Amino acid sequence: MSQKPEAYPRFRLGARIEHAILMISFTVLAVTGLPQKYAAAGWAEWTIALFGGIEMIRIIHRVAAFVLTVGSVYHLFTSAYRSLVKRERMQMIPTRKDLDDLIATVRHNLGFQPHPPRMAKFNFGEKFEYWAVVWGTAIMALTGFVLWNPLAIARILPGSIIPAAKAAHGGEAVLAVAAILIWHLYSVLIKDVNPSMFTGKMSRRQMEEEHALELERLDRGESPWPELELEVLQRRRVLFAIGSVLIGGIALAFVIWAITFEETAITTIPRATIEAFSPLLTPAP
Amino acid sequence: MRKRINWALAFTLMLLGGFLFVRGDLITTAAGQPGLQAAQKSAAGSPLFFANPAANPADEACRLCHVDTEAIVAFPSGETLPARVDPALVDASAHGIGEQPLGCTSCHDGNRYRQPHEGIEAESIRDYQIQVSAACTRCHNQPHVTSHENLPGGETVLCTDCHGAHEVAQVDHWPAAEVTATCLACHEAGDRGRLELITAGGLFTHPVGENYCLACHSQPGPEILFADGETLSVYVNPDHLRTSVHGENNDWGEITCRNCHDQGTYPHEAIEAASPREYTLNQYQACAQCHDHNYDQALDSVHGAALEEGKLESAVCTDCHGSHNVQPPNVPRSRVSQTCRTCHSTIYDNYATSVHGDALLTQDNPDVPNCIDCHGVHTIDDPTTNLFRIRSPQLCGSCHANSALMEQYDISTQVFDTYVADFHGTTVTLFDHLDPNVETNKAVCYDCHGVHDIKAPDDPQSGIKLNLLATCQKCHPDATANFPDAWTSHFEPSLEHNPLVYLVDLFYAIVIPATVISLGFLVSTDIYRRVRTRISGRKGSES
Repeated sequence: MSQKPEAYPRFRLGARIEHAILMISFTVLAVTGLPQKYAAAGWAEWTIALFGGIEMIRIIHRVAAFVLTVGSVYHLFTSAYRSLVKRERMQMIPTRKDLDDLIATVRHNLGFQPHPPRMAKFNFGEKFEYWAVVWGTAIMALTGFVLWNPLAIARILPGSIIPAAKAAHGGEAVLAVAAILIWHLYSVLIKDVNPSMFTGKMSRRQMEEEHALELERLDRGESPWPELELEVLQRRRVLFAIGSVLIGGIALAFVIWAITFEETAITTIPRATIEAFSPLLTPAP
Repeated sequence: MRKRINWALAFTLMLLGGFLFVRGDLITTAAGQPGLQAAQKSAAGSPLFFANPAANPADEACRLCHVDTEAIVAFPSGETLPARVDPALVDASAHGIGEQPLGCTSCHDGNRYRQPHEGIEAESIRDYQIQVSAACTRCHNQPHVTSHENLPGGETVLCTDCHGAHEVAQVDHWPAAEVTATCLACHEAGDRGRLELITAGGLFTHPVGENYCLACHSQPGPEILFADGETLSVYVNPDHLRTSVHGENNDWGEITCRNCHDQGTYPHEAIEAASPREYTLNQYQACAQCHDHNYDQALDSVHGAALEEGKLESAVCTDCHGSHNVQPPNVPRSRVSQTCRTCHSTIYDNYATSVHGDALLTQDNPDVPNCIDCHGVHTIDDPTTNLFRIRSPQLCGSCHANSALMEQYDISTQVFDTYVADFHGTTVTLFDHLDPNVETNKAVCYDCHGVHDIKAPDDPQSGIKLNLLATCQKCHPDATANFPDAWTSHFEPSLEHNPLVYLVDLFYAIVIPATVISLGFLVSTDIYRRVRTRISGRKGSES
């Protein structure tokens, strides 16, 4: 048996960049958003003051929202590229096995079965997180758009959508932050320090524990990512480039349109000048 | 004419002769009296009277003719004087009351009582008055007549000019008002130069008291003429003084003129102020002697600041409280707003139409705010500052979040909390806590409900519910028909009000704990396994 490598490729650079964008924008959004939801709390005021006041924290929140949205669009494009051009198998699609793996993991944890389930490149927990992010981002982007452009929304939808969007934006935020803190941070920092999203590589031990099937596949000498003949790839790339420039242009335009939809939601009423001094001609009784 | 008098007097004398025959005892009895030897003393202590040198009580005889006659005395000047004397006036006069009344001949030359009288030498009534009033000095040392001698034009003011002749009153019984009226008969308002000249020697030396001042100042009419051409009445209503908070029923003792005014005695020092307003601005500072706290607060108020800027019409103590007629300022409560109205009439008119103003002015409601409940009393802040704007929801909330107060009127107290929970209120509250002086265009209560003309939300004419879209459009000009529904109308979300918000909240109230519990369960089973493995691994290595 040949010498087995200590670390295995796990994430391409593009995925790591996507994660970095997501991580930074999500953190900024959470840190600048939650104080707005819980504005009455002391810590919230403190945080808002730290960011330079409520107006500034709202601007920062929107800048981060823009970054997150652009990152999400970028993700859609890389996903499209991978499924359309490279014809990769969509490994994030949940399967029946994920449910079995979940049950098996719990049984293993509780001591009812000796070995953990053997899982593929993305296990049930990672798929849950991925789809939670997709779901959460969609909700936050939609409701955020509503809050960003309430006048335009009220032109086509009932006005009561707007406070509902505010409630959903806040509720979803708490849900997302709770999920990240409890599940993601436990999984990648506390349970076991897992720097693969930054290094791109995963240790053999962690592969064995969580991605036994993928480890097996890599050990068989298979490529971590499907490889195509250069000629085929280039032909498809040309088509994709044309499509992506078109769609990308439209998407970027949409994002820009979305965040600049209403120049200002509010107008400052010019100060009314009341002649305060208007003495009676005859004194009041 | 003279002939006719003589005939009348002759007839009278006949009657008198007959009368004396019957009642001759009168003369001797009256003459035997001790006269006015027991000298009366004036209030100031100097003798008011000399001994009466010529008491001749032949009154009865004189009255026989002079009480009821149409006769007149004709003077060479052409003037005439009725010979009739009203005995009631004489009897009620200072000389008629008391134990020792004067007789006619005390003043009128004694030997003239016999009929026929000697001819009157005087050329005119004035001459006659000069001659007769000289008799006053027989008894009176005339403490102040000197200032009335040798007036410009050569005139002398006689005792009788002021005190009257037959009807002379005791000084103590002489109403102050009448005294002043007497002076004013000569000293017309505005004729200050002459008055000052006349009185330069000191007209009065009495201690200065209310009555001393009121002797002149209770007379309507006199005015001060200021350098700017404006005039100010110096009239003071004595009733106002007496019934004001500074008057008789004041626990701290009655405030007198001198407590506030420097001009103690007459003649007054010239007033330095060039205008009535300047005089007021100098004079109101006297309030600080007792009310220094309120005075200082007022200096720091918006009125004090305006005054500092040179707006002289800005309100000072006396503008609101009055000067001589100071009454409790808040009885009834509407009095406060009426006071503000004096200068802020258009705002008052707005307020009067509001739900608050109407309740105050027509029902004397004890709970609605009058002007000072929102603006403060002496510390009236500038209501146009950012600070006032940002703090204003708390001002409204101080009543509208008070459930005991609002219960009586069936008004929701959720209004404040729901405002703070909403976008507008959250922002304004944050500004209040972090940067209360920042300018914000986020709506505060009065942006939607009105400033002074606040109506009930369901007011059929101009309630906010009727005009919600127009209200939104004040700040959101592009708002369309659906937009007002974005506002939760101060209702906590429920199935009835804002059901969509309620359902979203409900969804997350279930999903968030469910997710946390599920993920927490997974995490805790994982921890359980790791701890268990570690312990068993240690046991394994130990064995």
